[in-house]
Amino acid sequence: MSLLQFDGIHKRFGGVAALGGVSGTLDEGEILGLVGPNGSGKSTLINILSGFAEPNEGRISFAGVDVTDTEAHHRFGAGIARTYQIPRPFSSMTVRHNVAVPLIFGKTKLHPSAATERAMHWLEFAGLASYADQPVSELNLHQLKYLELARALASEPRVLFLDEVLAGLNPTEIEESILMIRRIHDLGISLVIVEHVLRVVNALSTRIVALNQGLVIAEGAPTDVMADPEVVKAYLGSRWKHA
Amino acid sequence: MSRRTTVRLGSFAAVAVALWFLPTLQGPIGFPIFYLLFGYTLLFWFAQASSWNMFTGYSGYFSFGQGAFFGVGVYTTGVLAAKRGWPLIAAIPVAGILAAALGLSLGFVVFRLRRLQGEIFALVTLAVAFVVAAIARVSSKIDGGSGIALNDVQLPDFLGTFPSMMFRLGLVIAVLTVFAAATIQHSRLGWGLFSINDDEAVAESLGVPTFRHKMMAFGMSAFFAGLSGAVHAIQISYITIEDVFSIRIPLFVIVMSVLGGMRHWMGPIVGATIIHTLTDRLNRASDLELFGGNVTVSLDHLNDIIIGLLLIVMVLAVKDGLWPRLVDRKWAAAGAFVVGILIARIWAPEMSPIGQFVAGELGAVAVLLPSSAVIDRWRSRGGPSETPDEPTSQPTVGATP
Repeated sequence: MSLLQFDGIHKRFGGVAALGGVSGTLDEGEILGLVGPNGSGKSTLINILSGFAEPNEGRISFAGVDVTDTEAHHRFGAGIARTYQIPRPFSSMTVRHNVAVPLIFGKTKLHPSAATERAMHWLEFAGLASYADQPVSELNLHQLKYLELARALASEPRVLFLDEVLAGLNPTEIEESILMIRRIHDLGISLVIVEHVLRVVNALSTRIVALNQGLVIAEGAPTDVMADPEVVKAYLGSRWKHA
Repeated sequence: MSRRTTVRLGSFAAVAVALWFLPTLQGPIGFPIFYLLFGYTLLFWFAQASSWNMFTGYSGYFSFGQGAFFGVGVYTTGVLAAKRGWPLIAAIPVAGILAAALGLSLGFVVFRLRRLQGEIFALVTLAVAFVVAAIARVSSKIDGGSGIALNDVQLPDFLGTFPSMMFRLGLVIAVLTVFAAATIQHSRLGWGLFSINDDEAVAESLGVPTFRHKMMAFGMSAFFAGLSGAVHAIQISYITIEDVFSIRIPLFVIVMSVLGGMRHWMGPIVGATIIHTLTDRLNRASDLELFGGNVTVSLDHLNDIIIGLLLIVMVLAVKDGLWPRLVDRKWAAAGAFVVGILIARIWAPEMSPIGQFVAGELGAVAVLLPSSAVIDRWRSRGGPSETPDEPTSQPTVGATP
C-alpha cells in the first residue's frame, strides 16, 4: 500500500482549471520529483496535498486513512510536512522559537519549555545552532531555507514536500542543499521535491511525475521522463515564451 | 502545573491578598477615600486593557469589539440587577458568560472566512458594537432608549463600604484578567497566538489549530471584558446607550495597550497606569489662565487631544511599546522617575501624591522615548563598534561517511 495516494484531484480558480484530474501515489522511502513549466499546477498540487487548499474534486489518503477533509494542522500532526518556496519564518521570533512551534503543536506535542530545548537538536541538524537565539532577520536566504527544513522536520514527518528549496541559491549552496536533502531522506522520510533545476531532480529522484497545464503528461524513471517528447515540448515551449 | 505557573499563581495571589486589605488601612492611616475610587478605576482599566490585549495583542487580529463586550457586561447588570432585582454578585458571572457567548458566536462566523482577516475583521467587530447598541436601544426589555438607574441594586455589603466594595470587586476581576493574560502568554495558546500574529497560514501548516486558538482567546477576552463591565455599571450608576457604547472604551484600551506594548501582559498595565493617571490629573487641573487672564484654556478639553497625540507618537516612534524598553533601561527610568518627583516637589510643594506620580512617570517616559538605536549610538560613541564579525554562512552538512 502506498503511503500517500491521491485520485482525480481537480482545482479551479474562477474559470481556470489549475488541476484537471491528477492522480498519483507516493511509496514509503521514495523521492518523487514533481516537474513541469511555470503554471503547470505543481504548487497547487502541493498546497492541496498538505491541506493548504481544498480540492474541488478528488480524494487523498495518507497511510490508509482518508484525509481529504482533514485540516492542515491535523495533517501536520499525522506526518505530512512542507516547506515554502519563499521562506516564511515567524519574523518576530528567534530562530530557536521558530523551531519550537512545530515541536509544541506537531506530533511531539511538547511543553513550550521542553520544545525550546529540543529545538536545538534540529538546529544542529540544519547547521543553525550558532544562530539559535538570534532574530530570523540575521539569516540569509540559504539559512532561511534550512530553517524551513528544521521546522518541517521537527515534528518527525513521514512525508515532506520540498517546494523549490534550491531556487535563488548559488552553486555551492545548491551542492550543500543536495547533501542535506539526502540526509533528510536517510532519516526515513519520503520526499516530494518540486524543482526547476532539472539536473538536481534527475540526480535525486527515484521517480518523476511531469505536469503540464494541470495534467500529468509523463511518469516514470527520471531518464525516461526527461526524454519524453511531451515533456520536452512542454519545457521548450515554456522557455520559448519566457525567454 | 509547571513550576513557573505555580510561582506566577503564588505571586498574583499575594498581590491580590495584600491589596484586598488596603481599604481596611484607610481608617488607621487616614488616606482620602478618593484614593480607593481612583484605585478602582485604575483596576478597571487594567482589566479592560488586559482583556483586549490577550486576544488582539497576542494574535494581531485588531478588534473594536471591546465596546460591545463591555456594553453587554454593563447592561447585564442593568437588566438583571436593576430591573429584575438580582444581587450584583449573581449578575457579574452571567455578564461574563453572555459577553463570551457574543464573542464566540462572532468568532465562529468570522474566523471561518479567510477573507475576513486584517482591516475587514476590525470593521466587522466595530459593526457588531453598533448592532448590539441598536438592539439595546430598541428593546424595552433592555434599555428602550431611556437609560437605567442602578440606585437600588443589591450590593455585596460584606465587602465593606461602597468605595471598599468597588475597590475589592475591581481588584478580583483585574487580578483574574491579568493572571489569565500572563498565563496565556506563556502557554501553548500564547505560542499559537504569536505564531498566528506572524503568519497564520504557516502556523496552521506547522500544526497550530488556528481556528480553535482564535476562538479560545477571543472568548476569554470577551468574558473578562464582560465581567469588568458588569461591575463598572455600578460605578456609572446611570447607564445610557450613548455612554456605554461610545468609542471611549475601544479607543482607550487600544491606546493603553499600544503605549505599554502588546506582546507582553505587562504592556497594558503600564499603558493603563500612564493614561489613567495622566487623564485624571488633566481632568482635575484648574484652568490655565494665559496672557494675564485674557485667555483661559481648560485642560479638561486637552485630554482627547493628548490621547490622540500620544497614539500618533507611539505608533510612529515606539512601535513595540514602552514595556520592552522599560525592561532594557529600568535603572535609567527609575532614576528619571525619582528626578521627576523631586522637581514636582520643589516646583509645586502642594501638589498631590498622584500629581507627583504623574511628574515622575513623565520623566520615566521621556527616558524611554528615544529608540534603542539612538541609545546604542550614544553608548558606543567614540568606542569601536562592538558588533561581532558576521559568521560565514557555512552550515555544517553533517558527518560525511
